[in-house]
Amino acid sequence: MSKHQITLMVNGLERELLVEPNRTLTQVLREDLRLTGTKHGCGIGDCGCCTVLMDGQAVNSCLLLAFEAVGHEITTIEGLADGNRLHPLQDSFIELGAIQCGFCSPGMILSSKALLANNPSPTEEEIRMGLSGNLCRCTGYQKIVEAVHDAAQKMKGASS
Amino acid sequence: MLLPRFEYYQPSDLGEACQVLAELGDSAAILAGGTDLLVNLKTRKASPEHLVALSGLDQLKEINNGGGSLRLGSGVTAGILADGPDTLSSLTALIQGAASLGSPQIRNRATVGGNLCSARSAADLIPPLLVLGAKLVLASSKGEREVDLNDFLLSGARTILAPGELLTAIKLKAPAAGSGSAFIKLGQRRAMEIARVNAATSIALAGDGKTIQSARVALGAVAPRAILSQKAAQLLKGQTASEELFAQAGQAAVEDASPRTCHEFKCEVVSVLTRRCLMQSWQQARGQAS
Amino acid sequence: MSKQFDVIGKRFPRKDAPAKATGQAQFVDDMVFPDMLWGAILQSPHAHARVLNVDTSKAQALPGVKAVITAKDVPGTKYGVSPARYDETVFAIDKVRYVGDEIAAVAAVDLETALEAVSLIEVEYEPLPALLTPQEALAEGAPWIHDEFPGNIGGEVHQEFGDVEKALAQCDIIRTDTFQSKRQDGGAIEPHAAIAVYDLDGRLTLHSATQVPHYVQRTLAMVTGLPISKVRVIKPYVGGGFGPKSEATPLDLCSSFLAMATGRPVKMLYTREQVFLHGRARHGYFHEMTLGVKKDGTLLALKNRCVMDGGAYSSFGIATVYYAGSLLGAPYKLPNMKYDGVRVYTNKPACGAQRGHGGVHARALFEQQLDLIAEELGMDPVELRLKNIMETGDVTCNDLAMSSLGMKECIEAVRDGSSWKNKRGKLPPGKGIGMASGFFVSGAGYPIYRSETYHSTVNLKVQEDGGGVEVLTAAAEIGQGAETMVATITAEALGVNYNDVHVQSGSTDFGVDLGAYSSRTTLMTGHAAKLAAEDAKQQILAELAAELEIDVSRLDIKRGEVIISGEPVDITPIRTMYIKEHRGWNNMPEGDNLTFREASRLAFLRKGSITGSGAYKPPPLGGKFKGAAVGTSPAYGCSAQVVEVTVDMETGQVFVDKVTDAHDCGQAINLTQVEGQMEGSVSMGLGEGLFEQVKFDAEGRVENPSLGDYRIPTIMDIPNIQSLVIESGEPNGPFGAKEVGEGGIMPTIPALLNAVRNAVGVQVSELPLIPENMLLGIQALKKK
Repeated sequence: MSKHQITLMVNGLERELLVEPNRTLTQVLREDLRLTGTKHGCGIGDCGCCTVLMDGQAVNSCLLLAFEAVGHEITTIEGLADGNRLHPLQDSFIELGAIQCGFCSPGMILSSKALLANNPSPTEEEIRMGLSGNLCRCTGYQKIVEAVHDAAQKMKGASS
Repeated sequence: MLLPRFEYYQPSDLGEACQVLAELGDSAAILAGGTDLLVNLKTRKASPEHLVALSGLDQLKEINNGGGSLRLGSGVTAGILADGPDTLSSLTALIQGAASLGSPQIRNRATVGGNLCSARSAADLIPPLLVLGAKLVLASSKGEREVDLNDFLLSGARTILAPGELLTAIKLKAPAAGSGSAFIKLGQRRAMEIARVNAATSIALAGDGKTIQSARVALGAVAPRAILSQKAAQLLKGQTASEELFAQAGQAAVEDASPRTCHEFKCEVVSVLTRRCLMQSWQQARGQAS
Repeated sequence: MSKQFDVIGKRFPRKDAPAKATGQAQFVDDMVFPDMLWGAILQSPHAHARVLNVDTSKAQALPGVKAVITAKDVPGTKYGVSPARYDETVFAIDKVRYVGDEIAAVAAVDLETALEAVSLIEVEYEPLPALLTPQEALAEGAPWIHDEFPGNIGGEVHQEFGDVEKALAQCDIIRTDTFQSKRQDGGAIEPHAAIAVYDLDGRLTLHSATQVPHYVQRTLAMVTGLPISKVRVIKPYVGGGFGPKSEATPLDLCSSFLAMATGRPVKMLYTREQVFLHGRARHGYFHEMTLGVKKDGTLLALKNRCVMDGGAYSSFGIATVYYAGSLLGAPYKLPNMKYDGVRVYTNKPACGAQRGHGGVHARALFEQQLDLIAEELGMDPVELRLKNIMETGDVTCNDLAMSSLGMKECIEAVRDGSSWKNKRGKLPPGKGIGMASGFFVSGAGYPIYRSETYHSTVNLKVQEDGGGVEVLTAAAEIGQGAETMVATITAEALGVNYNDVHVQSGSTDFGVDLGAYSSRTTLMTGHAAKLAAEDAKQQILAELAAELEIDVSRLDIKRGEVIISGEPVDITPIRTMYIKEHRGWNNMPEGDNLTFREASRLAFLRKGSITGSGAYKPPPLGGKFKGAAVGTSPAYGCSAQVVEVTVDMETGQVFVDKVTDAHDCGQAINLTQVEGQMEGSVSMGLGEGLFEQVKFDAEGRVENPSLGDYRIPTIMDIPNIQSLVIESGEPNGPFGAKEVGEGGIMPTIPALLNAVRNAVGVQVSELPLIPENMLLGIQALKKK
């Protein structure tokens, strides 16, 4: 099995890598690029903690070959903040207690970002549907829903 | 979990794809969205030597409509279908089936072609496409052929797809005025479920808005493959629509389910889901009746 | 009650939230070390078999393999959780006892090579009959899974308090019911992980995703034979524990031995499938209870019989089998209680401790019985509870003392918060409302090993300049908020601002802390932190008093400032000296009061580094009878919940519409975190009630070792949870605080089942309540 040279666009930067075809995007992000914010919880798309954005859409990076990510824009949790300025979702998650153990949080926050990009004023049901691919065992989801709602308000306020 | 080793090809057009598939035969697996294939690879249910990726074939992502018919590229994702774009807005069963599939992340990758070719009895897009009368376009280096979805599926998660053949498109007739369709899925949780039972129905009403001109009932996860219930369809045809009729159709649908796959609980639920699905289809059909 | 505090009872953001929100927080699998190897374990494919021969030669010959170890390469020292039940060895010595039992381990240059090497190890097995249920294991003539435990009984408890038969004879209503729950999993989103480093000093450092660095350290020292001074365990961030990470795992042990064998760091992880094979999670329980009451609703007597499916090893089981009885002693007055429990070995993964430890399903049946009795008496279930609840100061029949108990407040809060009176008995068919209560320990009264050890030590150092405080605690932050709690209590006790306290935690280098289990951290580690902070404060104030030549009783620190009572005192000499020392600096202290920054600087100049030390252990607790220790605690949290459901009577699906939850945590240290623990407990309880079950096939293999097939609730399955925090002020808790993390799950399952019965009239005797079982129940009722 031969290695191929590929270029991935991750968090706005072009990254050149030498990669075998059977490496998933999760592996390449975590091991080759040392972006360990994307987590490995199950490897088969059941838990969502490997979620990244591909061209703004939430996908399970554990079910994506790195090769298949070529030509697309990948956003990981590390790409959300602007230096020290956190994204409103990160602020809301922190402030409203939507983070406990933190293992699901990167994926949850990215799914939330994709949701709000598509639907800036989601109802509670729409928030829950948008995050239905991200499991959390710690929070009972209550404060996650509140945080997404809070961030949505903040983001609408900022853009008006 | 590690993937096994394989060689990867990404053809840049359909001709190349068919050629590569023909050459590699059984040693190749087709990589569409990957949400099914990669799970099978990681759990060692499959270990092909080669993966042929369809990601380079943009034509498979097209949706075309015109002249009363719709053509869905096999690479269209469940996420696109679930959004219910204008071109597809009358295909309620398909939209509902797509929206129930997996999770948002899975939907952003899973393709309609992949779902059909997996041929799993519980697949969420199959019953809707059965009741919508889908025809499939299969391409190979020898040319193209069209088959009914109902003839495409075999039991035990197999299809009639020949080695070297690729599903490129799904053709649907735009539903006529006075028709409606619906899909219901039963799982345990409200998300990320594989159906324990799913049902899709379509109803076409006659000009009087009450008589059922034709109807279809499709069921998933109650037989070795997704099935059309002929007994239910026959019972409904020409009758006056009513909830009571639909309940009878539900009972008839149970008879078409396989006793080996469909034990008591599933049979109960088949009948309930069929009735509810027909009610929804009927409501939609009446809403659209001219 | 929160109004009198400056830091406690507020909603400060967690200390670790920014790191977790940005992906910077490091979990074990995020860590790499130079020259690191990957480990993998060979696990038994048989549920029960003799191991006749293990041939590792092909594995050893594989290029890239650096070590292969089996039972002959490591000590055969038995270990486990409770010293009275050490029944495990690192590798199977003569036989394997469950599908997944460890036989060998490999370290190689990458994971792929390690896995290939594992597949090359050849083992000769002689399969033995596999006992997959307690019934099979208890049957006459069944082989013994452990030679030391005849008849496969791993633990047996017989207790009686009062005189149950005499009391039953006085009862007007007696009912007997049974309940069967299934084995479940913790469902932590992070799988277990460990990295062992053995350095040239002969020092072993284990980085582990554990809830209990202290117990893991002791197990490692005991089994490796290394002096304990050369063994340390460091816990980085952990992605949830819930119980199954509360003991040394095969990853912890194998990575350590492989690191010692190779001289290189060794990383080992579980796949999600292996998490299920490891188990150490919720037992499966069968309970039969007989409850007797007088016709005015007074509870008189309870007989509780329990059979537990324990799996192949003891783990926490000897404690669990006690808890399944003792945790019914409260929160109602129950003068007569008899408990007979047995934990049975079976050839499946071992069961251990999981949130609520042994009490959850006992509570599920008991609270259902209360509802059934209420119905028979024509009493509102809420009224029946209120009539019987204990009060602060009461002691249970099994010697558990309720030093604070806000049970009444909790029940009334959920009754009112849910509009119970407007709904109960007034809902249409298919809709139901139900309630239940519960209680739990705030830390076990005794450590797992017999010892006079302190349960928590906290050491802190005040910065020599700047007024910051570094707190060192071996406590385990696993997501429940331990670091934030320690920072909050330290800040309050010392009188400084939350932002000036930095906590380092989770390393055995920092002291002794028994870990995050039995819901102990707030009460016990919090106590030690308070003592450490008060110690430092006293030292600083003593130096300040001496410098100012005033009596120390006039001095206090609040919100980062020094408050001097009585006649004004000239602080300018101290300020002037501080400013002189910082010539050229901006941001100098101002204002009428001395700042903590200046006071702590002064104390350093006079005395040297100011360190504060605190240590906590509970006083002797509990009765004198066998097993009395299990259930003892310095304090008990309690809660009540109301669950509202809609049942689809044609498909059997149960939808939870709303949960109202009230929890008495004594004093909320951080309101947001307390609510978060309440909400997480509810979610887990609903999952265990509705969906969760670990299934086995006829060969003893786990059938559903994935998060797709083992269904923990998604966000769509959990409704809005209204959390009401009750604060009864616990005298034995730091600033009045006691537990919330585990007690919060106790009412959930019975409140759910009581709601379901209210909706459709079906009494649910078996979990999980999947649609199939609900529908069967509805139809069975129709036929009657």
